[in-house]
Amino acid sequence: MNRALSGLYWLSLTLILLFITLPLLVVVAASLSPSSAVTFAPSEWTFKWYGALWANKWLNPFLLSLKIALVVSFLSGVLGALAAYAIAYEKCPGSAAIMAFLLSPLAVPQIVKGVAIVLFLSSAGFYMLLGTPGLIAAHIVLTLPFAARMIATSIYNFDRNLDRAAQILGASKWQRIRHILLPLVKPGVFSGMTFAFIISFNNIPLSVFLVRPGQTTLPITVINYMEYSLDPVLAAVNVASLIFILATIFLFEKLGGFSAQIHGGSK
Amino acid sequence: MSAVVTEMPAAAPKGRRSSLGGYVPLVPPLTVLLIFFAIPIGMMIGISFQDPKTAAWSLVSYEKFFTDNLMIAGLLRTLVMSGLVAICVTVMAYPVGYFLARSTSRWRAVVFALAIAPELAGVVLRTYGWLIILEDRGFINDALIWSGIVLSPLPLAKNLFGVVVGLTHVVLPFGILAIMTSIQGIDPNLEKAAQILGASRLSVLRHVVFPLSVPGIVSSLLISFTMAASAYATPALLGGARFKVLATMIYEQIMFYTNWPMAAVMALVLLVLMLAFSFAGTRAETRLHKKLNV
Amino acid sequence: MPITKRLFASVVFTAGAASVAHAEQLVVNSYGGPYEQIIMERIIEPFQKMTGISVVYDSVGSASQDYAKIKATRGRPGFDVVVMTASQSLDGCREGLLEKFSAKTVPNLVKLNPAINRIAGECGAVHELQYMSLMWRTDKIKSAPTSWSLLFQPELKGKVILPTFQNIMAANLVQALSVMNGGDLLENVAPGFTAMGKLAKQTVGFEQSSAVMETYIKDGQVWAMPFWNGRAQLLMDSGLPVDYTRPKEGTIPLIATLNVPTGAENKAAAMKFVDFFLEKSSQEAWVTGYKVGSARPDIEVPDSVRARQITTEEDLKKLLLPDLSITATKLPEWGDRWERDVVHAAN
Repeated sequence: MNRALSGLYWLSLTLILLFITLPLLVVVAASLSPSSAVTFAPSEWTFKWYGALWANKWLNPFLLSLKIALVVSFLSGVLGALAAYAIAYEKCPGSAAIMAFLLSPLAVPQIVKGVAIVLFLSSAGFYMLLGTPGLIAAHIVLTLPFAARMIATSIYNFDRNLDRAAQILGASKWQRIRHILLPLVKPGVFSGMTFAFIISFNNIPLSVFLVRPGQTTLPITVINYMEYSLDPVLAAVNVASLIFILATIFLFEKLGGFSAQIHGGSK
Repeated sequence: MSAVVTEMPAAAPKGRRSSLGGYVPLVPPLTVLLIFFAIPIGMMIGISFQDPKTAAWSLVSYEKFFTDNLMIAGLLRTLVMSGLVAICVTVMAYPVGYFLARSTSRWRAVVFALAIAPELAGVVLRTYGWLIILEDRGFINDALIWSGIVLSPLPLAKNLFGVVVGLTHVVLPFGILAIMTSIQGIDPNLEKAAQILGASRLSVLRHVVFPLSVPGIVSSLLISFTMAASAYATPALLGGARFKVLATMIYEQIMFYTNWPMAAVMALVLLVLMLAFSFAGTRAETRLHKKLNV
Repeated sequence: MPITKRLFASVVFTAGAASVAHAEQLVVNSYGGPYEQIIMERIIEPFQKMTGISVVYDSVGSASQDYAKIKATRGRPGFDVVVMTASQSLDGCREGLLEKFSAKTVPNLVKLNPAINRIAGECGAVHELQYMSLMWRTDKIKSAPTSWSLLFQPELKGKVILPTFQNIMAANLVQALSVMNGGDLLENVAPGFTAMGKLAKQTVGFEQSSAVMETYIKDGQVWAMPFWNGRAQLLMDSGLPVDYTRPKEGTIPLIATLNVPTGAENKAAAMKFVDFFLEKSSQEAWVTGYKVGSARPDIEVPDSVRARQITTEEDLKKLLLPDLSITATKLPEWGDRWERDVVHAAN
């Protein structure tokens, strides 16, 4: 019984991971393709397309995307933690409705959010916010739901008895938050921040409306390039940024340790 | 098993305070959402009551939406598609999330990277990856025809199937993270204890892990459903001309017909539906949680 | 968090830098890829040399995205000149989002064909004409076709790709087929839809973006399709075995326009740029460089170009020219009809 179950578990895990990687393998293969058509025929692979990336045309957008994603990720972590704290820890009345409100940006197609934000900023006369500041705010609207939701999940799971024990031992509220709650929900905060980073870094639909001339993010540069030339430089850009984000995630993982806390035996 | 958790006497005072102090942390996040989401969307809702031609007050767009069977069909397709995606994502995310939360092997980092990977590749190229695989002349159909299993290509892309596959792929990392975070929060000693007491793996899973991971499951279902319903690029590319959902129809209204009132009506319908689901989900979760933990 | 603070500051700074207007600057929004290279070399660099105005080139967004941006920002999208189409010029003019041109601000306007000028309205300066051509693979179809009827041939079943209705080419194809089958361009388009219903049975599918449509003919899956002739020419020049023609039943042009949003920060420079683009020499450079037609009948270009492009009064007379503002009002109705009669007739 146990063996059948564990066999099934490993099989399903393998199949799911295969499902996840398959289309990406196709893309990676395309980035190494020697011809300039994106096809999957890896007869003679080449790295020449990667050489083309070392130009301002790709580097500047990359740096802008990076800056925006970092700021968005940080602010989403802070704001998300605040919201999650009130909802999942304090459980203030109406928290279900507040959570629904926090998640509601997810339910609006991005193009509508993009148009709406630009429309609002323009009607209110905040023209100077169009561009990067508006873009950061718009991305936060997009990432906050994930961050809040993930942090809330980890607070829900937080063992309140630890908190009660500390309270009985005379710990102040701030001490309990600082030394008990925060370390235990840190993985949740970091997974929220990681996702905020990725979502911001890859966003197209909101960015299309908010980028200003000369201040373009990487995905927007890619999509504009694509309208006329579907060549492997594109696949190369994607693979390169994929590797970059993976590196970032490992960094986040090292900092936040999605799981370190639990396996570190702090419980 | 949940008895272990609930048996703790409610010695500590209730975490709930009657003062408004609990709301203070909400001020910054809600202010951001108010300025950059609620007010702008409020403006769009205002626009939904405008006549597309004269900009006078009018309900024509609402009337059009609820009487046009193309629109209603789009709405139904959206619900069916999102429901299927939510279920597929959550079912697939569970084993991966469990592995990530519990494994100590060095493969964990690799699996983690793989689990997040789809999110890293841009949505457009990823979708082209699926097209290459699912098309009439794609990998799968080539293999099936070559091996003689089918004679003519199976319709795998440009329909509900293709969209659900593509969206499941897009949303899966979010489901995995939700479930992983939730299982990580379950004290592993509970499982160990149950095992020591002689529970089989299956019953540990059924009676300990599963009930305690319900918040993660709800989270995964809600996030997947909402993300699927509002996604544009994947349904547009993998669904083709035949499979139109609300999000693609909204895009058309804004970009092609430049009929913003109509787009606003459709977005509002989508928003109200999603809010209802999300509210119901969160409430169910809170209630369940009070039963289990508090 | 000093690092974050510095990052934040630098982001805000970079963002702020963009809104500081320099002495003589101009932001031109158009397309990327080969388009960008050609417009840089043939138009923008000569313009900078002549006027000393420095041009910032912005390739973000399709024409419809650009228009949505203009609409959402109420005429202050951040660019001063934008390339769109005549239908957007008309709509934007009506909504007061686009600047009106006059012989005073853009003197070269009067040199353009008046009929084309009228179609684009007061806010659009027509700098380029393309037409919906019939493009085919020369290695698959040996004798050069002359008629849209090629697409209906039994041997082309499954070898045709069609645009989705959100590509204006679809509506134009309905109009052309309508005229071909005894209907007209606007009021009686039933014959066009009947023909499209038949054509739907021939197609492998529907694609919205021209970039995706062309991949079908590139890999040989599709043998013939309707396509804008400028892009068809680019494909031909890239060495692909394709050719294109203006079918004898007539076809509809794509009238591309330069527009200036009402809130443009550098309006004077924008007007100069629009006028410069309409100069005889610029039009000649553009027609030979980007391989498209011109609304300026007095340009001198090689015969090989003239044979392919719309450059003369004669060429213009052969085109089918529907009223674009009426076309725009018909689109929602036609879109529903397209769903019912065309998409559902497809296999």
